[in-house]
Amino acid sequence: MRLSPYLAFAKKSFLNRSAYRFDHFIGILDTLLKIFIFWEIYQTLYGTRVEVDGITLKMVATSFVLSICLEAIFFVDDNYLPDKIRDGSIANELLRPVSVQGRMLAENLGTALFRLGFHFCPAFVISIFFIGIEMPASLPMLFLFMLSSVLGYGVLWSISFLVQMTSFWLMNIWSLITIKNVFVNVLSGAMIPLWFMPDWMKKIIDFTPFSSIYFAPVQIYLGQLSYDEIACRCVLQLLWIGIIYSLGYSLWIRGQRKLVVQGG
Amino acid sequence: MEHFIEVNEVTKTFKVSKRAAGIPGMLANLVAPKVEKKKAVDNISFQIDQGEMVGFIGPNGAGKSTMIKMLSGILCPDAGSIVVEGYIPYKQRKDYVKNIGVVFGQKSQLQWDLPVCDSFELLKAIYAIPDDVYKDNLEQFVELLEMKDFINQPVRQLSLGQRMRADIVAALLHSPQIVFFDEPTIGVDVVGKEIIRNFIKKLNREKNITMLFTTHDMQDIEKTCERLIIIDKGTKMYDGSIQDIRGKYGKARRLDVEFNYDTSVESIPNVAVENLETEGRYKKRFIFQQDIVEMHYLMNHLLSRYSVRDIKVAEPEIDELIRAIYNGEVV
Repeated sequence: MRLSPYLAFAKKSFLNRSAYRFDHFIGILDTLLKIFIFWEIYQTLYGTRVEVDGITLKMVATSFVLSICLEAIFFVDDNYLPDKIRDGSIANELLRPVSVQGRMLAENLGTALFRLGFHFCPAFVISIFFIGIEMPASLPMLFLFMLSSVLGYGVLWSISFLVQMTSFWLMNIWSLITIKNVFVNVLSGAMIPLWFMPDWMKKIIDFTPFSSIYFAPVQIYLGQLSYDEIACRCVLQLLWIGIIYSLGYSLWIRGQRKLVVQGG
Repeated sequence: MEHFIEVNEVTKTFKVSKRAAGIPGMLANLVAPKVEKKKAVDNISFQIDQGEMVGFIGPNGAGKSTMIKMLSGILCPDAGSIVVEGYIPYKQRKDYVKNIGVVFGQKSQLQWDLPVCDSFELLKAIYAIPDDVYKDNLEQFVELLEMKDFINQPVRQLSLGQRMRADIVAALLHSPQIVFFDEPTIGVDVVGKEIIRNFIKKLNREKNITMLFTTHDMQDIEKTCERLIIIDKGTKMYDGSIQDIRGKYGKARRLDVEFNYDTSVESIPNVAVENLETEGRYKKRFIFQQDIVEMHYLMNHLLSRYSVRDIKVAEPEIDELIRAIYNGEVV
């Protein structure tokens, strides 16, 4: 596979991002606001207690700061394909000698890279400065955290890919995307760290791909998992990417056969 | 012999949702959606050789665009086969589209916010066009299509005619062997049309590019193509040279008849009738082939049955002849 067109897509997406400066600054503000609201809530909840279920306030803070900052990088354009199918410009996409999924991923990664540098970094530094979070458990754990984060993005991207593919049949999938986002927010530990979920719910969540997105990297960062468990988690992440992407891909193949180019 | 483009008994069906107007219709559609199947392309076959320039015409909704989309690998035919240059377009899409260029008159392929030249740069990366080829092509096309003035303007600020020219260049930068044009002159003024036609003709002659294009403008066809395929309601009505049409056109006559009062004329075999209400209140136009229907027979027929005020004989425009073919009245 030639890589250069995909690099061009990523670059275009990266540069486009920098065109919307106001939107960008509001985005950073949004991230910081979320972090400080969570900080206030958990401070109040903890009160004078040092720990709840063996989890200290500082660990909770680490968890939500990491999750929210990762959320800022993990960019997925849920409307990429639905928009193109709705207005018929999917035709132009199919005329290019590149894989459409590859292009989607490249453009998303271009934006993600921009956000890593200009959104994640400032928000993260400010949060550390004002809130103070745990240091990574060890240097190897920091690297494994990064690896697991990349895989977590893979899981999130695959889920979005699968949902987007349904637009070949449904045309308008706004509601489906909203439902997907609610699941991701609640079950991935991005809002409430999964430690505080009731046991029965934890068991259910373990059978879903959502905890692989944010919570697995956070646990690795905090050194809560042994190397065996980390290996297990990473394999699970890969497995979810494989399963969900394959499902999405089979819909993609079927969808193309069903494709109706709207307008003209 | 293997042809460059082989289309064999291709059929494509679309589902069209039938919905009554207003809130009752909306509610009915919500409970039990009614879907009707419509054949956009019905059992069409044709062959095109390398370097040929073929005009594809038909009324709105005839299936022209659908055919172009199947030929370019975007849509998958329900039945039949398409082979272009040994490729099966919808199956080998990624490899196949490297060799083709497509211009959709109604859909721009350029980046809306970027200057035209930036869109071209992106295409250069997508198709991995070598630097020298890219430079040569761009220089030549910009010159021929008179685009120097607006190459650095964002696409959203271009006029329709300018945008169309930019779109044509975008489809040709990678030196494709085959180019499909879907209404490349739609909404373009006379001068712009002439520039585009000359450009297409020159490219076909000099680079031996195979071209297929759809249009509603007969002048486009007359000035550029040698061969014409007419389709209507998804089926092929005519496939032959423009010369043949001209041959018929040479023998065709048109009789404009003004009646004294509102007259409904019974149908006459092999004669196409059109109402000309805009030009005179009771005027009708009869189009026929001189060698099939004799002039004096038709005139006698009309004069003896109806109250005629005036008669005028002329040769019909090619448009009218095509319209008669659409209606299945001549040929």
